[in-house]
Amino acid sequence: MEGRILEHPILNFQRKARVKIFFEGREIEAYEGESVAAALHAAGIRVLRYTPIDGRPAGFFCAVGKCSACLMEIDGIPNVRSCMTKVRDGMQIRRQNKNGDLL
Amino acid sequence: MRDSYEVVIIGGGIIGSAIGFNLLKMGVKDICVIEKSYVSSGSTGRCAGGIRQQWSSPMNVRLAMRSVELFKNFEKDVGMDIEYKQGGYLLLAYTPEEEEDFVKNVEMQRSQGLDVEILSKSQIKSKFGFMNLEGVRIGSWCQSDGHANPQIANIAYSMAIKRMGGDFITHTKVESIDIANKKIVGVQTDRGYIRTNTVVNAAGFESSKIGKMVNVDIPVYGERHQILVTEPVNHFLDPLVINFNHNYYIRQTKHGSLLMGQGDANPMPGEDLGNSIEFLEEMSQKMVRDFPLLRNVHIVRQWSGAYDMSPDAQPIIDESKDLSKFIYATGFSGHGFMLAPAVGESVAEMIVHGKTITMDISNLRMDRFKNHIEIEKNVV
Repeated sequence: MEGRILEHPILNFQRKARVKIFFEGREIEAYEGESVAAALHAAGIRVLRYTPIDGRPAGFFCAVGKCSACLMEIDGIPNVRSCMTKVRDGMQIRRQNKNGDLL
Repeated sequence: MRDSYEVVIIGGGIIGSAIGFNLLKMGVKDICVIEKSYVSSGSTGRCAGGIRQQWSSPMNVRLAMRSVELFKNFEKDVGMDIEYKQGGYLLLAYTPEEEEDFVKNVEMQRSQGLDVEILSKSQIKSKFGFMNLEGVRIGSWCQSDGHANPQIANIAYSMAIKRMGGDFITHTKVESIDIANKKIVGVQTDRGYIRTNTVVNAAGFESSKIGKMVNVDIPVYGERHQILVTEPVNHFLDPLVINFNHNYYIRQTKHGSLLMGQGDANPMPGEDLGNSIEFLEEMSQKMVRDFPLLRNVHIVRQWSGAYDMSPDAQPIIDESKDLSKFIYATGFSGHGFMLAPAVGESVAEMIVHGKTITMDISNLRMDRFKNHIEIEKNVV
């Protein structure tokens, strides 16, 4: 399954350079300029975190940085909005359990 | 709202509500609490909810210990879970003077039966390895101190009052108090007149205004304190930590968010409850220095509340000498919530029996200001 739009009826864009990012230690295909959540979505990863109270899986929801559904641990920092954070070469991304661990 | 009550309590914050609840519990059913806005709209709803017993006078320690006993049974007695947690209180000393005070206070507190101890710097380090303890000399630690959610506690009391047959009247302002032959005969509100002979002034930082209505001078004024809340993170901080030297306190709520506040460098006495960017700057800098693990945590919002300051930063609980059955419980100076259950009990006893039964709180009478004023130092 290709999770990226390859052809668009009115928009025209060039795919940028490939970068290496890691989800739970596994390398994921990503391109410069993409958000972390978009790259994970394209790779078929639908569960981004587990909810604070019941620990239920949560995925991509508002996609504009408002809803907290996509908070992830990125490079060791919890509560990062993966929909608003662009991929960077070498990035380490982990699913967040509940509110994120500082310790 | 009826047109007459045996007791009218002015102020529906934690103090007024606790007094109302205890009166009902003691069988005084004909009471009402008058709140000018909504439940917990004032200082109670703005406070961080710390519950501390580490005070510098024996009577205050005993009163706080009684409060803790009542907090332990709050859910059963009042009927609601208020997120009460005995996670302890850690006080940090940075100067030789603070160290000396802590040692002296702990000795006195232990003589009152409090489970408090001095921790060395290395003991603090092993308990709370995530803290930056640069400059810390010792700590004072009490495991049975803790914290709870003040808004829920306030709401719990207000609901219990209604359930038990009392009235809790919100969005109603007291305009004047009627006196005839040196006795209270009624209270005029913006929603009608109430006949009563007993008035309790629990109006917090506005209690001096209520006092003025009956020419009783209550030396209490509002002092703005600011506070902020962060996004929730998984639980890591059990105690409330107080740092007098760096001027802050911090605690983690059950929800996971962190509450942290300080007294302003330039307190603005009065009713200004605005907030400032300087507070955010100062607070975030010192918190990241002392708690480096907070460096990437987002702040969600900030607000302020008014401490009801008294001349010695201690509560004033008394009946007026000049006006019979005009009782006041005010001037809590930032520690009203933690004392509320015990104060509610004592003030209700004053009304029912003419004197307190459970606790001796004679040190909190108004006449202490005639003599030398000993200011409580352990406040942020």
